[in-house]
Amino acid sequence: MTQASRVTLSSIAIRDFRNIERAELTIPPDGIALVGDNGQGKTNFLEAIAYLELLRSMRGVRDRDLTRFGATAFHIGCVSAGAAVNRVGIGVERTGKKRIMLDGVDTPRLTDALGALPSVCFSPADIALIAGAPAERRRYLDIALALSSKRYLAALRQYRAALARRNAALREAARPGARHSSVAAWEPALAEHGAVIVEERRGWVAEGATEFTRLCADIGERAKMQIEYESPLAAAADVRAALAEALHKGRDHDARRMITHAGPHRDDLAVTLGTRDLRLVGSAGQQRTAAIALRLLEAATFRTRGGAQPVLLLDDPFAELDRKRASRVLALLEESSATGLGQTILCVPREDEIPAAFTRLERWTVRDGVFARVAS
Amino acid sequence: MSAIEDLVTELSRLPTIGKKSALRLTYHLLKQPPEQSRRLAQVLGTLTERVRLCERCFNLTEEQPCTICKDPRRDAATICVVEEASDIAAVERTGEYRGVYHVLGGRLSPLDGIGPDELTVTALVQRVGAGGIREVIVATNPKLEGEATALYVQEQLSSLGVLVSRIALGMPVGGDLEYADGVTIAQAIASRRQMR
Ligand SMILES: [Zn+2]
Repeated sequence: MTQASRVTLSSIAIRDFRNIERAELTIPPDGIALVGDNGQGKTNFLEAIAYLELLRSMRGVRDRDLTRFGATAFHIGCVSAGAAVNRVGIGVERTGKKRIMLDGVDTPRLTDALGALPSVCFSPADIALIAGAPAERRRYLDIALALSSKRYLAALRQYRAALARRNAALREAARPGARHSSVAAWEPALAEHGAVIVEERRGWVAEGATEFTRLCADIGERAKMQIEYESPLAAAADVRAALAEALHKGRDHDARRMITHAGPHRDDLAVTLGTRDLRLVGSAGQQRTAAIALRLLEAATFRTRGGAQPVLLLDDPFAELDRKRASRVLALLEESSATGLGQTILCVPREDEIPAAFTRLERWTVRDGVFARVAS
Repeated sequence: MSAIEDLVTELSRLPTIGKKSALRLTYHLLKQPPEQSRRLAQVLGTLTERVRLCERCFNLTEEQPCTICKDPRRDAATICVVEEASDIAAVERTGEYRGVYHVLGGRLSPLDGIGPDELTVTALVQRVGAGGIREVIVATNPKLEGEATALYVQEQLSSLGVLVSRIALGMPVGGDLEYADGVTIAQAIASRRQMR
């Protein structure tokens, strides 16, 4: 395996993003520690960095709601090293118009710009990965896989487009007076692209399952934690044929409910403790451990598949962990790559909450969206 | 509303014409001798009066049936199915296709409310069902909606015992028939495959 190259952000400029009117930060290779009370702009700052990778909000917020109140557009730009692209510039207008420049070149297709600045965000909100609905875990899988596999990304886009059309056709067919229905015509596309999604998810889980269990044990979990790909198609030898058949068989049922039931859009990533669903039996601490392990696995995916050691965005990640577990997570982050700890953007509410390993990081404060470097 | 505003509003309904261009065109017309505007109005009037859909193939035409349907040198046993009448011009550019056409009037696009009932598929089925057709070549665009439309057409024709084939216009060649050159389309037709 080739060694992953360490991605580092050397500067970032933000304008009119959430509560940040204007910010320009130069960032050392090791990263920074950003200190500020909740609601001052820490998470917004991390969200801006993650935007450079996902081209949308990591929290699922609509673009127009990301623009600072009173502004007509927001801009995020960065200079980085170690990734395929060294300069990313994004401008998003309230009207929805989005412009992306990679190394100074206009990139009209969003899919060409996805993953421009690889990063992984660890946050207390990650508990939703375990405790939340299956949609949270599908979103996790989609991000990890779409950013590390062009094939997956292409299939996902086509699949979603076909799914929206089949569902619309189901609704249309239910309208009084409708004579013909196109529901079946969308199924071959769903089967073709859905099969790619299922195969890639299945392969990724098979590849990462052992690692996940090890990570949880290393963080300090004594009971065995496991991930398993949960899909009616998971065991199918010919996924495409199986999905095509399920869609065909489900047509009447789908028509009554006016929605498509079969397919990877209903998959889940089951997380178990022993033999039981962690969502139901796990303590808050166990759920947090599993969520962190999933994020570590995401970072590992970027390293092994994308060849890049992503920037680590740590949003007060150890707030709810005991000190022992917190220090083990840190050790795992560090040992995970031959290139050492990825560049780290650490956000904490108070200075005394900066873990010892990060006290050497250059320190910044944020208050009411205004950033200031603390003189060392 | 003033006469100027009226015309600007109408012009800016046209594709690729924004408010600014519409205004520019309006002022341009006002600067010309009045006969020119009168001629334009007349031509527009006769256009909508005379141009109709061909009863057989739904091409745009001033005669019934259209010149292609009527042409005795064309092979009436081969029908090329296209989305829009403007696609006929693209296929004609090849200079090689000798069959006739059937215009669907769009493609399946349920998100925009375009279902099978909005297309001319039923008329195509009747046309083929009436007999004398050897092959139907489906030349809808090679994207998600064009492919689904092709499948739908094939499904509707499947019980009629006619050969249904699909042009091989690959995605890499790029999207719409309208923008493909004659050679590319000729190749796509030559290497068409039977739909099963
Ligand atoms: Zn005709």
